[in-house]
Amino acid sequence: MRKTANNIAAAVRALIEVSITPQKDVGFDNIARRIYEFPEVKSCYLVSGGYDLLVVVEGDNIQTVADFVAAKLSSMPNVRQTATHFLLKKYKEEGQIFKQAKDEKRQNISY
Amino acid sequence: MRISKKVDALAPSGIRAFFDLVLGMKDVISLGVGEPDFVTPWHVREAAIQSLESGFTSYTSNKGMIELRRAITTFLKNRHGLSYDPEEETLITVGVSEALDLAMRAIMNPGDKILIPEPSYVAYGPVVELAGGRPVFLPTTFETGFKLTPKQIESAITKGVKGILLNYPSNPTGSSYNRKELEAIAKVIKRHNLIVISDELYDELTYDFQHTPLAALPDMKQRVIYLNGFSKSYAMTGFRIGYACGPSDIIAAMTKIHQYTMLCASITAQMAAIEALKSGGKDIAVMKKEYLRRRDFIVDGLNKIGLECYKPQGAFYVFPSIKSTGETSMSFAKNLLEQQKVALVPGVAFGRFCQDHVRISYASSYENLKEAISRIEKYLKKK
Repeated sequence: MRKTANNIAAAVRALIEVSITPQKDVGFDNIARRIYEFPEVKSCYLVSGGYDLLVVVEGDNIQTVADFVAAKLSSMPNVRQTATHFLLKKYKEEGQIFKQAKDEKRQNISY
Repeated sequence: MRISKKVDALAPSGIRAFFDLVLGMKDVISLGVGEPDFVTPWHVREAAIQSLESGFTSYTSNKGMIELRRAITTFLKNRHGLSYDPEEETLITVGVSEALDLAMRAIMNPGDKILIPEPSYVAYGPVVELAGGRPVFLPTTFETGFKLTPKQIESAITKGVKGILLNYPSNPTGSSYNRKELEAIAKVIKRHNLIVISDELYDELTYDFQHTPLAALPDMKQRVIYLNGFSKSYAMTGFRIGYACGPSDIIAAMTKIHQYTMLCASITAQMAAIEALKSGGKDIAVMKKEYLRRRDFIVDGLNKIGLECYKPQGAFYVFPSIKSTGETSMSFAKNLLEQQKVALVPGVAFGRFCQDHVRISYASSYENLKEAISRIEKYLKKK
């Protein structure tokens, strides 16, 4: 993946729900490994619920991420279905709350 | 003239115009805020919301809810070994500001003097004057870490000096006294039978040693009016809730004034404060850790760019020297604001002798502090 000058500012993240047909006698592990070995994949989790793997992908822009999902992820053997959710706004991550400038409720100056 | 002579004689804030300038500006990085940048912990806010939903909207006892007074005295006993009777020796007030005002009005006779270290919080002098007393300011310096010495207090005691007002950790310097230093000061206080008004609002934000309340020292409890609250340690500035603990005669006198003027502190704030004392310990620890990180960064950063900065023991302020710039504190603050959009408070607001200093509050995000240091450096380089 081409790196940009300012990865943090330019990076687009997406959470992708991946539904898988598990392999006989093996389960999800091999397929998960093939997915998480892509450098674009930042996180990969096996989850309970309506799909199997939750995959976090990062790319330069929406198009890059969409291309990755279409070309690399969806087309993988045993991947039945994907649903891509682009991150629009971070409120809190790993315990850190992101304050927006307009969140400042205090007066600019006080004794 | 319609305004009382006493109020008319009070010196207006010398930096009102500067404050107005800052308040009117957008996109300023402010290092001039005297309150936490953390919001009140959610469980405390929730307790306040629940109290309203449950219909707790009436007056409380003048002295404050007994549940809160008991929670405070239990806390002080466990934390500091300090025992106060919740009935006779504890009063809930509308912020420590009200407690301070009540204390002064309860003890001052016209012309009585109170010793106040300088630099000090802006309200101290005016509150003493409004109570009919006379503030006597004792300058402290960078060289002594902005702390009073026993010798300095001793030599200031003249006829008419009734007491001394201490604030530690201090606003604006962040200085605090360790136990040994307090014991030395206590000797002078006992020798001259002074009353002490001890504003210890920032006590939980003491980084380098365990805070010791002055009232916890031997033979001091009966001489000290202990003031504390919730604004800084629990980030509850807007709730306006504080308390005073002290000898029963003084607390009774303070209560007498309080019952006529304020009646009681807000019930919502009192119920939130009960929750804060019950479960807020972990929140303080998180905030304190972050403040400490910022303190170390800002002291180091200021010294590196050429503004000599003493490392304070508590609160969230530093009081660096701007002597190397040749500017007065007001001109430095104004020029920095106009040229680099960084706001801080001129030292002269806190003491006539503080022209060479500015107060920087590090109650602001680490990122803001980094950016502010960078902009101050740019300002210094352009001079």
